Amino acid sequence: MRIILTMRPRKNPKIPIEAEMIVPSLLMKGDDVTVWEGNRERRLDEVFEVAIEGEASSPADVEVVLRGDTARVKRIGEYMDGGQITVEGDIGMHCGNFMEAGTIEVMGNAGGWLGREMRGGTIICRGNAGHYCASGYRGEKKGMTGGRIEVFGNAGDFVAEYLTGGEVFVHGNCGDMPGVEMHGGTLTISGDCSRPCGNMTSGTCTVFGCAYGMMPTFALQGEEIASDGEKIHSFTGDVANRGKGNLFVRRYQYLE
Amino acid sequence: MNELLIKNAFVIDPINNITGEQMDLAVRDGRIVEDVGANAEVIDAGGCLTLPGGIDSHTHVCGTKVNFGRYMSPEDMRAGREARRGVKHATSGYSVPTTYANSYRYAIMGYTTLLEGAMAPLEARHTHEEFSATPLQDMMANTLFDGNWGVMEAIRDGDTERAAAIVGWTISAVKGFGIKITNPGGTEAWGWGKDVTCIRDPVPYFEVTPAEIIETLIRSCEMLRLPHSVHLHCNNLGKPGNYGCTMETFNLVPDLNDKRQTLYATHVQFHSYGGSGWKDFCSKAEPVAGLVNNRPQIVIDMGQVMFGKTTTMTADGPMEFNLYRLHHNKWSNHDVELETGSGIIPVLYRRKNLVNSIMWAIGLELALLVENPWQCMLTTDNPNGAPFVKYPEIIALLMSKKYRDAEFATVHPETGSRTVLPSLERELDWNEIAVMTRAGQAKALGITDIGKGHLGLGAEADIAVYPLKVGEIDPAKEYEQVIEGFSKAKWTIKRGRPMARDGEILVHGENTTIWADPVIRPDRDIAQDPDFCEMFNHWYSVRMSNYPVQDEYLQRNLRMQSEADL
Repeated sequence: MRIILTMRPRKNPKIPIEAEMIVPSLLMKGDDVTVWEGNRERRLDEVFEVAIEGEASSPADVEVVLRGDTARVKRIGEYMDGGQITVEGDIGMHCGNFMEAGTIEVMGNAGGWLGREMRGGTIICRGNAGHYCASGYRGEKKGMTGGRIEVFGNAGDFVAEYLTGGEVFVHGNCGDMPGVEMHGGTLTISGDCSRPCGNMTSGTCTVFGCAYGMMPTFALQGEEIASDGEKIHSFTGDVANRGKGNLFVRRYQYLE
Repeated sequence: MNELLIKNAFVIDPINNITGEQMDLAVRDGRIVEDVGANAEVIDAGGCLTLPGGIDSHTHVCGTKVNFGRYMSPEDMRAGREARRGVKHATSGYSVPTTYANSYRYAIMGYTTLLEGAMAPLEARHTHEEFSATPLQDMMANTLFDGNWGVMEAIRDGDTERAAAIVGWTISAVKGFGIKITNPGGTEAWGWGKDVTCIRDPVPYFEVTPAEIIETLIRSCEMLRLPHSVHLHCNNLGKPGNYGCTMETFNLVPDLNDKRQTLYATHVQFHSYGGSGWKDFCSKAEPVAGLVNNRPQIVIDMGQVMFGKTTTMTADGPMEFNLYRLHHNKWSNHDVELETGSGIIPVLYRRKNLVNSIMWAIGLELALLVENPWQCMLTTDNPNGAPFVKYPEIIALLMSKKYRDAEFATVHPETGSRTVLPSLERELDWNEIAVMTRAGQAKALGITDIGKGHLGLGAEADIAVYPLKVGEIDPAKEYEQVIEGFSKAKWTIKRGRPMARDGEILVHGENTTIWADPVIRPDRDIAQDPDFCEMFNHWYSVRMSNYPVQDEYLQRNLRMQSEADL
């Protein structure tokens, strides 16, 4: 089953749309759901043109396709438990919150909080991701606990904050403080970042580029051979938090 | 004229010795009267349990540290979210919810009067601001004196009258209600990098002991003739083996007042621990309750712990620091200049944890072992032991041995060897529950004379009707109905006006702030004392003239004036 949602032109395209109902398991039962545009509740077909092809017996057979200007559509795939969502353009904040299974593929850029508190499944972002990608939420001690997020572009600040389990891969650069408060899982950054892994207690983070503003609270263990066959510096920490996490960085600079 | 008639109410009113009687209650202009006219609004209680409005004599719902609990736990605000609807404001939060959420949830449970357990005098304005945003309950604030420099200097000089003059002036300046002592001297000693192990250790610099602080403040309280007694949070909260210190403290207390107790000891569960460390931690509820049984001058509250997430907050800064070192989670600490301090951390009480399971058992043991229900109030020290929404479950646990056994089977298996709970057969009856949740509180707080906690003629018409038919259900077996009934009052009536019905809030309401104002002879007025003024203006960050809370902070309020013996 394919459900194609094409965004209708809007008078004010900046107003965010809260669309936590855009989940394969809910849409396969029919399109009689509502979304919020600003403070107005709208039927799904008021906001999107809905085209349905074929049938499905389980959410795993469902593919939801979002087309058009979806950069302000928030919370799609929340609590998603199977199937596929493909976003042909950009997507707004909180995409794939608490996701448990299935796949979300974003061809463009994703807003903040991509896959926050994710529990399982896969998120692929072909463009850039905003801040707090794969993180926890305000005040929570547990972030993402399982699944995989792969970002082909750059990611913003606080990637994988409070990471507890699962795998996060950023092919580009990350902003400030990736992997802060990490206590499990793996975070891999192909590019550069600054101040990685403060207060980390467990888990593994690898930075193939340069770690600027490297934390002085990580103890250098020596050099190892990384997955790409080259040498990489191995640290453990965060010592200030009695942490025993692994931090591998190819190059690093301390603050002056 | 606003008239209301509640028909077919099954009334339990312990203060007036009504232990279950089918009757009608007539209300005119917010007071219980003999009868009302034919045009009165009629509510048919249908034979359901009708009690005076609930009173919580120790809860933390308003003030700076509660608000800091909200700041530091944004995750708590993800629970309990409700959109604005009708007369209701939007709400959120579970253990430290918004003021409106507190007010609505208490109202739905039939509570109409609350005592904020600890208000730092310097930060009283914040408490009063939040009182005005807690619209459905009458509010009072206990005022902290545990580390007050002026009081400690007076004690060092052996001048009890001076201590009383400072206390009296402060309470009426900040519109407080009673004297609260939290870990007397302990927080101040900690400020000097020291600690007090029990009541005989001197506080650095001041060289006074916690015992002297407690004794002097008890005498000051009686000199000022305050409605409520001294409200004490003993030293060594939460430390294994602290029961000895608790009992030593209780032994200090003279019997000075024939109308009420001389000491209200709060959350005694946290002070009834045996053992020398966490490994041999055990319950000492038996000796503590035994002592309370022999000391009619002492009233305690349970401070029951219930399993789940919550936030602990207290003026006992060092204790929270110790908790922080156990949990390694977030921690906030705050020093209030010349007065007190505070600390906050979030906690999770788990059934699988032996210490938490024993704590859970101790609270229940205390309530069951204290023979006289007028001496033991039902509280969780909200939100320290659990949020107050757990009260109905605690009521059911006290009323049903069967429920206790069922719960006991789910806690840590070693709990049985460290507590006496499984051997306690006592099941409380409806009358005892009414005492422990309203009548006893009213008496302990000294507010029966202003019409609180009873339904006699002239009493304030704060009434809770619960969907429970006393004759038809057996609380020992049908405990689930008890929980459900006490969770959602059929009607909650405040000052003669229905404010909640079956879980729905009906009115916005306007509460009353009740405050004490002891009148002191002008020549003992501490505000005219040059030494005190100099000390104040030298050390405080505010001028003395800016210190008292202005009248604008109190909207509707009731001043309980007393002629101080001073």
